[in-house]
Amino acid sequence: MIPTALNPERIGKSVLGLFDYVQGVYELLVYAGMGIGRLAKPPIRLVFKKQIYFTGIEALVPITAIATLSGIVITTQIASLAGQNIGLTAKIMLWVVVRELGPLLTAIVIIARSSSATASELATMKIRGEIDSLRRMGIHPGDYLVIPRIAGITLSVITVTFYFQMTAIVMGYAFASLVGYLPFIKSLGGIVSILSMKEVLVSLTKAVVFGLVISSTSCYFGLRARASPTAVPQAATGAVMRNLLMVFVLDGILTYAFFV
Amino acid sequence: MIRFDRVSAGTLRALSFEMASGTSAKILSSSEDQINALFAVCSGVRRPDTGHVYMLDEDVYAMPPDERILLFRRLGMVPENGGLISNLKTWENLILPSWYHGTRSPDEVESEVLGYFRETGFNNEQVKNLMRKRPDELTKYEKRLIAIIRAILMNPDILIYDSILTGLDREASGRLLTLVQEFHNKKTGRVSVYLCPEDAAAARIQTDQTVTLKN
Repeated sequence: MIPTALNPERIGKSVLGLFDYVQGVYELLVYAGMGIGRLAKPPIRLVFKKQIYFTGIEALVPITAIATLSGIVITTQIASLAGQNIGLTAKIMLWVVVRELGPLLTAIVIIARSSSATASELATMKIRGEIDSLRRMGIHPGDYLVIPRIAGITLSVITVTFYFQMTAIVMGYAFASLVGYLPFIKSLGGIVSILSMKEVLVSLTKAVVFGLVISSTSCYFGLRARASPTAVPQAATGAVMRNLLMVFVLDGILTYAFFV
Repeated sequence: MIRFDRVSAGTLRALSFEMASGTSAKILSSSEDQINALFAVCSGVRRPDTGHVYMLDEDVYAMPPDERILLFRRLGMVPENGGLISNLKTWENLILPSWYHGTRSPDEVESEVLGYFRETGFNNEQVKNLMRKRPDELTKYEKRLIAIIRAILMNPDILIYDSILTGLDREASGRLLTLVQEFHNKKTGRVSVYLCPEDAAAARIQTDQTVTLKN
């Protein structure tokens, strides 16, 4: 008897599911890219603004807390390792916060907050026949639901990532200065002096890629929901788990591509 | 304006009928499934198993889906449950299609909307409260009324109502009927179709034509 994990039918279904996912996400991204100009329509722009509010602005409180605590922990660890060496501290800070933790932790917070919310909102709309209602009003569901969500979530991920990095560095150094490890202004100057265009580009690329993947994956799982009582939680869980997996995989690929 | 050519979909079997410009019809059935199937076919969301549906001289299901959506700007559909969008407030639901298609801005329709609510028994304070509510907080009458006003604001050439009076008391259904029949007469050539179960409420709808579906 074949063990369940090695069952060819099961493996086949998973592979086909993965192909469906990749194709679905690709189609959503192409559709959103081609139709980005439709954000000029006032009702679509309103959905876009609401998405920025829910994903970006409402995330600032948890992001501030996580960034502050991360900054404190990282500077404390660096100070215990490198002592009062401002140059080395700045380098490690840049590697950890700007290159890695900033984009990654921001993506995780956005996945926890907005990915599940978006997937379950769209799944509920689909099950209740509201997507058909939009069609009956001559409104393309892709234009009204997908484009503003992909644009709004992506823009939010980019700006919140930048905010996370700034907060973590400033609060980390502020704490280090407060407890007497490092001078605040000199340490900040150390970071600025070694910050290269490449660092900014890597960070921005990661934020853009994570934003596009999180938003399109959430829409994909929401819109493929079928009429069943478990469809909404399944859509939310599916979106969150797939997003987490994709963000870590893509983070590894991008880091390898830029730095190896 | 409307032509069904041997349309079958689920329990709906080989339905054929035609409506000329400026007429109204009620389509009766004792089967809720048949009414649901017919409304879905009319709405462009369920391709018939066989046959053709023509609206405004266009073969609805021969059109590519994106063009079909454009056709529906000229049609008004009022589902039994109102078909409101659950994450939008009443006001946002009301103005969505007309604002989206750029036919009229929210400011332009405000006084007209207020007028329709007054005609159907609401005072200013009640309208104000209603506008802040989301669909799940509304009564069946309110949902249908909002769906009707939303369709009216688009000034459509064809209006299709699904079980518009079902489950409402005589007074509420009388108000809705007056509103839709007055709207029908406001524009020459407009077509109104009422899909309804065979009941006492349906008997009160006066139309030029009656089609009874066979089970």
